[in-house]
Amino acid sequence: MLSYILRRIVATLPVMAIVALFVFSLLYIAPGDPAVVIAGDQASPEDVERIRQSLGLDRPFLIQFGSWVWRILHGDLGTSIFTNLPVSTMIGQRLGPTLSLMMVTLLLTIVVAVPLGVVAAWKAGSFIDRAIMAFAVFGFSLPVFVVGYVLAYIFALELEWLPVQGYTPITQGFWPWLQNLILPAVALGCVYIALIARITRATMLEVLQQDYIRTARAKGMGQGGILFIHALKNAAVPIVTVIGIGIALLIGGAVVTESVFAIPGLGRLTIDAILRRDYPVIQGIVLLFSFVYVLVNLMIDVTYTLVDPRIRY
Amino acid sequence: MDRRTVLKGLAGAGGLALSGGLSAPAIAQGAAARTLRFVPQANLANFDPIWGTQYVVRNAAAMVWDTLYGIDAAFQPQRQMVESEQVSDDGTTWIFKLRSGLKFHDGEPVLSKDVVASLNRWAVRDPMGLMIKALQQELTAVDDRTFKWVLKQPFPKLLFALGKNNAPVAFIMPERIAQTDPFKQISEYIGSGPLKFAKSEWVPGAKAVFEKFTDYVPRQEKPDWLAGGKQVMIDRVEWVIMPDAATAAAALQNGEVDWWENPIADLVPVLKKNKNISVDIGDPLGNIGSFRMNFLYPPFNDVKARRAVMMALSQEDYMRAIVGDDNSLWKSLPSFFTPDTPLYTEMGGDILKGKRDLNAAKKLLAESGYSGQPVTCLVAQDQPITKAMGDVTADLLKQLGMNVDFVATDWGTVGARRAQKTPPGQGGWNMFHTWHAGADCVNPAPYTAIRATGDKAWFGWPTSPGTEKEVASWFEAKNLDEEKAAIGRLNKAAMDDVVYAPTGFFLSYTAWRNNVSGVAKGPVPLFWGVSKSA
Repeated sequence: MLSYILRRIVATLPVMAIVALFVFSLLYIAPGDPAVVIAGDQASPEDVERIRQSLGLDRPFLIQFGSWVWRILHGDLGTSIFTNLPVSTMIGQRLGPTLSLMMVTLLLTIVVAVPLGVVAAWKAGSFIDRAIMAFAVFGFSLPVFVVGYVLAYIFALELEWLPVQGYTPITQGFWPWLQNLILPAVALGCVYIALIARITRATMLEVLQQDYIRTARAKGMGQGGILFIHALKNAAVPIVTVIGIGIALLIGGAVVTESVFAIPGLGRLTIDAILRRDYPVIQGIVLLFSFVYVLVNLMIDVTYTLVDPRIRY
Repeated sequence: MDRRTVLKGLAGAGGLALSGGLSAPAIAQGAAARTLRFVPQANLANFDPIWGTQYVVRNAAAMVWDTLYGIDAAFQPQRQMVESEQVSDDGTTWIFKLRSGLKFHDGEPVLSKDVVASLNRWAVRDPMGLMIKALQQELTAVDDRTFKWVLKQPFPKLLFALGKNNAPVAFIMPERIAQTDPFKQISEYIGSGPLKFAKSEWVPGAKAVFEKFTDYVPRQEKPDWLAGGKQVMIDRVEWVIMPDAATAAAALQNGEVDWWENPIADLVPVLKKNKNISVDIGDPLGNIGSFRMNFLYPPFNDVKARRAVMMALSQEDYMRAIVGDDNSLWKSLPSFFTPDTPLYTEMGGDILKGKRDLNAAKKLLAESGYSGQPVTCLVAQDQPITKAMGDVTADLLKQLGMNVDFVATDWGTVGARRAQKTPPGQGGWNMFHTWHAGADCVNPAPYTAIRATGDKAWFGWPTSPGTEKEVASWFEAKNLDEEKAAIGRLNKAAMDDVVYAPTGFFLSYTAWRNNVSGVAKGPVPLFWGVSKSA
């Protein structure tokens, strides 16, 4: 197993290299110029050119790419064109809010979606099943920002239970940290709750038809034991896969959610960097996201061995 | 432990949390009353007011760095860091003396050498600074508090240049910082202004913090824009960056922020209904909407085509697209200059007045030789103002029978593409939309957009010898009457040649919670004189 994990980690290196080249090339050919944004509206073309030179943006593509790769190999993601801060510092500042949001959302999703899917499968064809599936369709169809605004209106403005925006680090207390994350996590989680509930239901329905479930029932095992010990464990592989894919999708969803709830996370940093053409920051974030995605896939593969002993690497 | 015990515990914890038992302690609540939470117009992505000239940087910098002079509401430069000045009879030698007791935030005294280094750096990047630099014979520190500026010929607008609030502003920095190449960013943010920048708390894109500088010695005069005594009544100003307007509105209503610099027009009615919130015009100098036509290529290399578009455009259509139905937020503007300012004129602006004559415009367009070639119109969709104006322009051009190549893109792309002098079909352009802060349009000194020096002019590269002649006349004017006469002639020449097309004058609101007092109108958000109760 350990050698498998090591092989997979080594295999990520060429993937990351391809991602790096792709991102760098894409930014190079994309229209826009950070020097123009820096110089401001009143700047002369000569001023813009001087700024471009001082940033090294006038150098040939290969030289720019080579120097960037060289820095990456030395563990240096570079410095933001705009803030003059190291990209690693900027990512570090934003990592906490995004990780917190994703963690709470994922927890909420699993805690709500899996039981809903199990219950829907158990009561297949009943009113409860139809109600859960109707909720799933509803949750899947609503855009994150609409859910976000509605939640903020009800729970922040009308009821005044929760704040509208912002983020408080967990070091300043568990409740202040959590209260800033509840609404964003619910808004972001709606789609994933719907998705995972549907997948869980479909997989559970298939498993519940199996002979060993009938045998368990014949032996007098309780409904809870059948559903959550025998059936759910055997239905877990596709569910775990979708949860894993969901983590990658959460990164995309976080961009919108962080803007709506003014959470200073990586999603907002990404948008800001793209709009300003802050190339080192964009490159750093994309590399980070690619790494996270590869890592999550590896974790999913390892998790398979825990839920299904037949899978071995 | 049984199930009931657990539930009781959870309910207790929940009740404690909801009752505020787990929220900030009393001492922190007192601190909250001395902290002003402000939502600025944009993200503070960098903090060098010479290197980056965005308005948001200028606004933040005005708290941290002080100026030698400050412009008041009458557009007159008033002494700020300067105690006195002497000018020679021929107007070429200026001797300035600094106020005593001025200190930087690191505790060091403000010395003449700091001023000299700061002015040298500023002069490389500022249009007025460049003009002064061209006339400069010497700029030297005489002693710790005195410096001398010797020019080859008089520059009557010198004090205005030192006090103007248009970016880049002549902020005074310590010598070691001011010696940074003006095209490279500084990394130390030490000023001598009334607030200090808390660099360690800066999260670009999210938060910027400014703390009261207790050693600041304000002037005794009443505050008046960037002039007068800058008395800070709060301990801390927190800038909370909110990219989403609806979120900012909700946060203000919920009391999570205290002051929102510029709420969008659509959300103002909601804020006005809230009894805890005050809403008023923020910057009385407002903004001038504009689109620029490229003088280098057909059809707009012909003045008849440019005038045809001017004849047909309805400023009301543009303004309603930007500000909606609130008539107090806009004015027609048959001028290139900011309304209600001393030099405002409508001379030559008849082309923008009265009923729009589409047929006459079509006739003039035909006389220009326009024969249906595509007109590449750049419109940034991520800026509500340019998007609104672009939609109106596209309709206008179609009504004139023009073939519109509508390029919907983002501001970053417009910013880069507008600098291209290649033909429109090869990466260039025919038109783009923007707007100018009214503070930049009060006179020709900071007004890059009105200059018409052809290849060296701003994007669109207008050529108008008449305009340039009157700009020179204004710089040489010796009194207000001469200035007004020059501006009148300038406005007419620029209208005749259509240096650019003004689409109207518009204002925007600012909104704050009622426990905040002392919010004053001005060209930048003014934090001195503002206080907050619990």
